[in-house]
Amino acid sequence: MDHSGIVLLLFAAMIAIIPVSAVEQQTAAAQVMVTNVTLDPQVFMTDDTGTVTVEVINNGAQSVAISRVTMYDEKIRVQSRAYDTTMYLGAGNRMTFTFTVSAPVPDGIYYPVFSMDFRDAGYLRYPVKLQVQDKPLKVSILSKPDVFTGGKKEQVEVLVGNPRDNGVSGVTVYPAGDGIEASPSSIFIGMIAPDQSQKVTFAITPRQSSSLEIHVDYMNGINSHAEVIQLPIDLGKSKRRADPILSNIQIERSGNTYSLTGDVNNAGLEVANAVVITTGDSVVPVDPYRKYVVGTLQPDDFSAFEVTFTAEGTERVPVEVSYKDNDGNLYTTTTIIDIPLTKPGAQGTGELPIAIIAVILACAAVIGGIVWYSWRKR
Amino acid sequence: MNLLDLLVYPERFFSALGEKEPDLKIPAVIALAGAIVAAAAGYAQSSLFSEMFSGMDAGAGVGAFMGIMAAVGAFFGFLVIWWVVMAGVFHVISMIFKGSGKFARTLASTGYGLLPTVIGSVITTLILLTYLPRISVPVVRNLQDPAVVQNAMQELMLDPAMKEFTQVSMAISILFLVWSANIWIFGVRQARGLALKQACITVIVPVTIFILYLVYVTFSGFLIPGGA
Repeated sequence: MDHSGIVLLLFAAMIAIIPVSAVEQQTAAAQVMVTNVTLDPQVFMTDDTGTVTVEVINNGAQSVAISRVTMYDEKIRVQSRAYDTTMYLGAGNRMTFTFTVSAPVPDGIYYPVFSMDFRDAGYLRYPVKLQVQDKPLKVSILSKPDVFTGGKKEQVEVLVGNPRDNGVSGVTVYPAGDGIEASPSSIFIGMIAPDQSQKVTFAITPRQSSSLEIHVDYMNGINSHAEVIQLPIDLGKSKRRADPILSNIQIERSGNTYSLTGDVNNAGLEVANAVVITTGDSVVPVDPYRKYVVGTLQPDDFSAFEVTFTAEGTERVPVEVSYKDNDGNLYTTTTIIDIPLTKPGAQGTGELPIAIIAVILACAAVIGGIVWYSWRKR
Repeated sequence: MNLLDLLVYPERFFSALGEKEPDLKIPAVIALAGAIVAAAAGYAQSSLFSEMFSGMDAGAGVGAFMGIMAAVGAFFGFLVIWWVVMAGVFHVISMIFKGSGKFARTLASTGYGLLPTVIGSVITTLILLTYLPRISVPVVRNLQDPAVVQNAMQELMLDPAMKEFTQVSMAISILFLVWSANIWIFGVRQARGLALKQACITVIVPVTIFILYLVYVTFSGFLIPGGA
């Protein structure tokens, strides 16, 4: 056999062998399949960035050459580059491919396509389900006082609920606002599973009328999100606060000193601590009762008191009742009391005393007798 | 001179005086005693006004001033009204009946007749002292406003204890005034040489008018200066 014959023989053999190899490659590639798809976060929010991890397995007996792996979609933006390096997926082996994607899309279900190109054996296309759900956490005020009082600590209960189809992590709740003190300053909840909620309680002490903001920070995958609700705070009188009422007031005068006595009743629903009663600026408190310390008054409790003062050039005396609530906040109420315009006397009974009547009758009898006698003796 | 005769048997008392020159010493002493008692009563009553004005800065000064004024007013009020004016009224009325006799004699007779009134004044003053603590006094803080002062005075007069005292005082004063009138009848008759009937008219008419006036002002709430 000459050289030309040998070359022709090899060429014929190559023609015979090549179709057989391509077929084998296609057969091997057919054994590659997607076994698992993992999304982080499981459910995206609009504009969230996350990862899609696709796991493939080669169930065949031969290794498969992979020339390119990528993901694409018209709406879902794939941020990571394709796997362009030729690689081999050995028989029975698994391989994972992770893509960074972002979802600048409204609510909905999207299907970005996972694409794996085999060398000489076609490709694998696999649509991945990606859900976008733009539901934020729900924050609500469970309980709060009817009226906030300046400097008084009040309990505010907050409920944080997760209406999403996936769990969120790193949930932190903290109150804020001008002139507002909160204790604790923040509460870390952590993970909130889907359709679950967590209740947190803050002690809020407002110093001025403002707006209480309840902030909730959380993570959906690697994406930070925040929710804020506002609770207007208008300082006023608490409906439950202690309410000292003065009654049975009597003012007696001795020389230039007035003695004011009466009862102080706690008509409120909370205890009044360290109740002290004194007089205001327009009069001058004097001994022995410049101030009268009543002490603690429980609701519906009462105590007698007495203050002494001098009053010149005024017809009214301001009586100041100060007390503290359980947080130590000092409250003062002032009651204006008219100084009576009369010096109290024993008063007449409206009927002449018997002694007086006797005196008059005796005088009448004596005088009548004398007059009668003086005329009779003429 | 027997004062018991003066009180019980005035005709005999004045008959005993006879036609001698009138001696005004004893009548003056009686009138002065009445004036002193009236001054004491006036000063005691003025304590009510001291309380009334105690609400002002100068309240103490006003109260003291009013006390002195009340005492002085009552003193001279008694002397003038109850002695001199009363004697003048008797003297003038007796002129209608052509009475004769000097005014000094009428003045002396009237002064003697004041003795029961002085006794009545002592009794009413003692009763006043028992009533004073029972009287509620309105406090005036603005002396510049006449309406306030007037209202306070009215309130004081309407005070139950004050009204009670005024009525008691009136009753006793009228009783002793009747007694004095009884003495005045015989005194004026002697001093002016009147018939008994003329003397009765001379005394009873002004005294009755005075008693009616006394009753009227008692129930209308007006004080009589120097009155017992």
